Amino acid sequence: MKGFLVISLLGVIAMLAEVFKFKRILMPVIVLGILAAYALNYMEWTHPFSIPYFDNMISFDKIALAFTGVILITAFFWFILAHSSYEKDPHMVDHYALVLFAITGAIMLTAFTNMTTLFIGIEIMSIPLYVLAASKKENIQSNEAGFKYLIMGSFASAFLLFGIALIYGATGSFDLKEIHTYISTNAGNIPSFFYAGVVMMLIAMCFKISAAPFHFWAPDVYQGAPTIITALMSTVVKTAAFAAFMRLFMISFAGVSDVWSHILVVAVALSLVISNLTAAVQSNVKRVLAYSSISHAAFMLMVILANVRSNLSVNAILFYSLAYSIGSITAFGVLNSVTKYGKESFDEFNGLGKRNPLLAVCMTIAMLSLAGIPITAGFFAKYFVFTAMMTTSYKWLLILAVLTSAVGVYYYFKVIIAMYFKPAENHEAVKVEIASTLVIVITALLTVAIGLVPGYVAEMFTF
Amino acid sequence: MLGYTITQWLFGILSFLAIMFGLLVVFSRNPVNSVLYLVMTFFCIAGHYLLMNAQFLAIVHIVVYAGAIMVLFLFIIMLMNLNEDTEPQKTWITKIIAAVAGGLMLFVLVGSLKGSEQLALNVHGSTQIGLVKNLGVVLFKDFLFPFEIASILLLAALVGAILIGKKEVK
Repeated sequence: MKGFLVISLLGVIAMLAEVFKFKRILMPVIVLGILAAYALNYMEWTHPFSIPYFDNMISFDKIALAFTGVILITAFFWFILAHSSYEKDPHMVDHYALVLFAITGAIMLTAFTNMTTLFIGIEIMSIPLYVLAASKKENIQSNEAGFKYLIMGSFASAFLLFGIALIYGATGSFDLKEIHTYISTNAGNIPSFFYAGVVMMLIAMCFKISAAPFHFWAPDVYQGAPTIITALMSTVVKTAAFAAFMRLFMISFAGVSDVWSHILVVAVALSLVISNLTAAVQSNVKRVLAYSSISHAAFMLMVILANVRSNLSVNAILFYSLAYSIGSITAFGVLNSVTKYGKESFDEFNGLGKRNPLLAVCMTIAMLSLAGIPITAGFFAKYFVFTAMMTTSYKWLLILAVLTSAVGVYYYFKVIIAMYFKPAENHEAVKVEIASTLVIVITALLTVAIGLVPGYVAEMFTF
Repeated sequence: MLGYTITQWLFGILSFLAIMFGLLVVFSRNPVNSVLYLVMTFFCIAGHYLLMNAQFLAIVHIVVYAGAIMVLFLFIIMLMNLNEDTEPQKTWITKIIAAVAGGLMLFVLVGSLKGSEQLALNVHGSTQIGLVKNLGVVLFKDFLFPFEIASILLLAALVGAILIGKKEVK
């Protein structure tokens, strides 16, 4: 809770930087603030119990604190990475304030215990992102991305609200635990519009995590938005949306999993097939990463399916979020440096192995991790998902996941092949700021480190 | 009257009008007409709030939605000079798909309400909850956190609007 308050305060401070003329020290203030939030978060983590705040509106239990930790780590790296892009931007202050507000919403989504908090959290996270996606004002694609995201996002919010209203109508409560109690005490006597509400909330949440068939916005928005904002969307936002999804469906609606798990199975299967097959024929790297994020969403959804069935711990999904977020920060960091002057095709990576060997090595590690090749974090993330799935009756889904991952390897390796085996058109070295290089190298090292000692990290997330 | 109380008559009439105006919003070709029909829909819904003894909500609904937001809509439509001629027409296939999807949605919702008329009507809380005094207590006691955190939401929307609206300094 204290970490959450620090982040929301940071947003307000960032907003005032322009007026009170401390724009130049804003960056260190934000980074220190995030570190302070992380420290406070860690102190709450070491407490053995969690206290619900504000009449049980929000409660930072261990799972929430772990997700908040992942979000704060990614946010820390993101700000250092983003600073090189925004340093000379006259609107730097507004951008940073909006991002901090989005992170505030994201942290709310990890810890809500009430439907009202869920809705406001989703809106606080989404509204800054609609604006940030459109923040490259002279670029028509960026405008399209922002507008598309706004319209589709509002549509999903409408579904969410309708779902909440129907569930409130049946249960008479917004509280997650009370809804859970209602389901267990009224089994067999639940009105059918309650299920309609659950399905509507499922649709809205699937939209937020961009699972197929609600994924149509993702490629366009990821491609159109500025690269650094895409990095934020595929890390912090994704983690938060998953935390919310898990909290909602594993605390509240676990009792009626018969209704929604079938729908979720279809969503997972569709996401796996559509994302990997479409990504294989794309030529824009950002679009490929967008489709890859849909496929990663499918993997994390598989954990939710598995957990409901077998009560496994949530560490698989946390591990996956961490591995995917860190890998994505590296990948988008390199992408941002390489595609600084326009095009985003695979050809931009040609000869990067010679033009900037360090960057090429880091990108290789990130791609290997996203593809799930051993000794990277991504491999163990997928491994934990598969072990969780082994306990369920959806073994065919597992086979489908393995097959589509093999397709995934193809498009991740397209980047690596371009970097090392294709001749470059221009031989000038790719220059990257020291801070960005540091972030890229550290996140790549972290990916390898987590891959070397996966047990240690997984144990940390076991409650 | 025909075995119905006056409240039930009012409910029926208001619901009929709300749905009719709602359909007219969608079916009218001219955007200005659509907005005006939407204002009428909002008035009908405000009537529903009154029937449920929620005077404050009814007034806020009229002032904010029918008053402020719809005027904003009208301004934008007039400033951007949107009218019948400039409105792009969708292809037939899109129209059919949209009709099927919307119809299925309606089917599911109506179907899910089947059997709920037999449910015992359990009134949650007091029937006086819509009065300003009680609403204030709920808002500042039970729902204090969402109420306060909504300020962050408004702040974010404000900063976002300024960021989009600001002129690019070269």
